[in-house]
Amino acid sequence: MTTRRTFLKGAAVLGLAPAIASAQSTAGKVVVIGGGFAGATAARTLKALAPRLDVTLVEPNPVYTSCPFSNSVLANLREISQQEFRYDGVKRAGVTVAETSATAVDATARTVTLADGNRLSYDRLVMSPGIDFNWGALPGYDEAAAQKMPHAWKAGAQTVLLRNQLQAMDDGGLVVMSAPANPYRCPPGPYERASLIAYWMKIWKPKSKLLLLDAKDAFSTQRLFQNGWAELYPGAIEWVPLSKGGKVTSVDPATLTFTTEFGSHKAAVANVIPPQRAGAIAGQAGVADRTGWCPVEPVAFESTLRPGIHVLGDAAIMGGMPKSAFSANAQAKVCAAAIVALLAGVKPQDPILINTCYSLLAADYGISVAGVYRPDKGQLTDVPGAGGVSALEAVGGLRGQEALYAASWFRTITAETFG
Amino acid sequence: MGRVLLPVLASALLLAGPAQAADAPPGASSCTGCHATTKIADSVIPRIAGRKAADIVTFMREYRSGAWPSSVMGRIAKGFDDQQTNAIAAWFAAQPE
Ligand SMILES: Cc1cc2nc3c(=O)[nH]c(=O)nc-3n(C[C@H](O)[C@H](O)[C@H](O)COP(=O)(O)OP(=O)(O)OC[C@H]3O[C@@H](n4cnc5c(N)ncnc54)[C@H](O)[C@@H]3O)c2cc1C
Ligand code: HEC
Repeated sequence: MTTRRTFLKGAAVLGLAPAIASAQSTAGKVVVIGGGFAGATAARTLKALAPRLDVTLVEPNPVYTSCPFSNSVLANLREISQQEFRYDGVKRAGVTVAETSATAVDATARTVTLADGNRLSYDRLVMSPGIDFNWGALPGYDEAAAQKMPHAWKAGAQTVLLRNQLQAMDDGGLVVMSAPANPYRCPPGPYERASLIAYWMKIWKPKSKLLLLDAKDAFSTQRLFQNGWAELYPGAIEWVPLSKGGKVTSVDPATLTFTTEFGSHKAAVANVIPPQRAGAIAGQAGVADRTGWCPVEPVAFESTLRPGIHVLGDAAIMGGMPKSAFSANAQAKVCAAAIVALLAGVKPQDPILINTCYSLLAADYGISVAGVYRPDKGQLTDVPGAGGVSALEAVGGLRGQEALYAASWFRTITAETFG
Repeated sequence: MGRVLLPVLASALLLAGPAQAADAPPGASSCTGCHATTKIADSVIPRIAGRKAADIVTFMREYRSGAWPSSVMGRIAKGFDDQQTNAIAAWFAAQPE
């Protein structure tokens, strides 16, 4: 028979610090709403840190389809099946997965109501529902219009629809994309997409061109993208900024027409990246403010509107940190450790977080933007002097190297998230 | 008795499991977005779990100063001072290789 003492001795030999030993015994109930990069990471990390915690992940889809690398699906560089991840690893970590959606949160009673009729109580709630579209913010664009003019900004059927439309297009057809004002999911995403569509057109539709209508005058990693376009696809991508009439004021799905402040453009294939807000459940729970996004404090990412609720990933306002899968995963690990500390009655430590977004301009041409963030004056703030974009002058095969690192990052982050 | 034993047992098993972020110093749980603590097949990003702390510190210093060329590490290393870097290096050194 083994006594407590021999176990503790074993733990000491294994190098377990007392802090871990106390985290190990922390108990309580945590519910996580949404099993994307933020939620799946949070649920697994909570169980890893404090195995006695009762952790339930609420997620209606049995298969998660990843947006990162979905632009490569459009360019036929990947299959959509390579974007798909299941929750087996999350379940293996000891998390209970409720395959349904959350329909209501009562922040006072600390309960979550589920679409299947069940009600869960919690000590701490993590909300990571990602984004929803602001249907109605762009006249003419609604869920029906998205069948004609796909957004492909939630990966899956929409990604395949846009890819199929591109493949069916006549050579010489005009692809028109529209990009929204800030903030939105994945700041470099529209420009990576334009690049990879141009990459694919160069091979399969060499007479086609792409028009990118933008509600902004500047965008993430702009110089690297524009230098790359001039080098790889001269004349194929026309970017129209806000000040030159880039803001789309309405769309017509029947004729695939975009109307801007300056005129109108008829597309052979139309991709509308619509204005966005936090997933609808955030509004219901009272954690979203008038911007549609969720304000949080910068240490444990607890809502400043509803105590006991932590908001992570795209849904949250994270100061300088962009809405990315990298950020969502990093925030979730910090938040899980903070929740374990809070449940144990300990003050969470001030975090440091990193974000890096890789973008592909071609199969073998990658660039990146990075940042390091810490809490400052109530917000996550860029650490001065750190971060920035890839070198403007690429020496020694740098772009090819970063394309390889991007692929390795994707394999790593999906394993870190889903197990 | 068993209720006391269980968590300790679980922690022993966990050492081979996913990254232990509770104990992790600030920043370390972001490094693992690229430098996995589990084995990732087919990754060209070098593994740093289980490496000597002194080596990790040297790399980080040289990246920070720009003495060693890098695609991304220079931009990241500049976000961490010596003390923060030492703590992160010690943590990675203690992770299974
Ligand atoms: C084209 C494109 C390319 C991108 N490329 C990159 C990239 O290269 N690198 C990068 O870092 N990021 C990239 N991103 C951004 C990345 O996809 C998001 O930042 C990331 O998915 C955010 O994670 P999340 O967990 O906050 O939300 P999500 O991943 O959207 O997960 C939210 C989850 O919540 C669930 N949910 C919603 N409401 C409820 C409810 N009521 N009840 C239960 N569950 C609910 C949803 O089903 C979903 O599974 C890209 C995005 C796009 C569109
Ligand atoms: C965005 C991905 C990314 C993140 C985040 C990241 N690294 Fe790196 N790391 C790399 C890449 C890529 C290299 C190879 C050098 C280069 O090109 O930058 C590297 C190299 C290294 C090396 C040298 C290893 C060797 O054997 O050559 C060390 C040490 C290291 N990183 C430590 C860290 C630490 C510590 C952190 C967190 C503070 C971190 N890295 C965060 C991508 C990353």
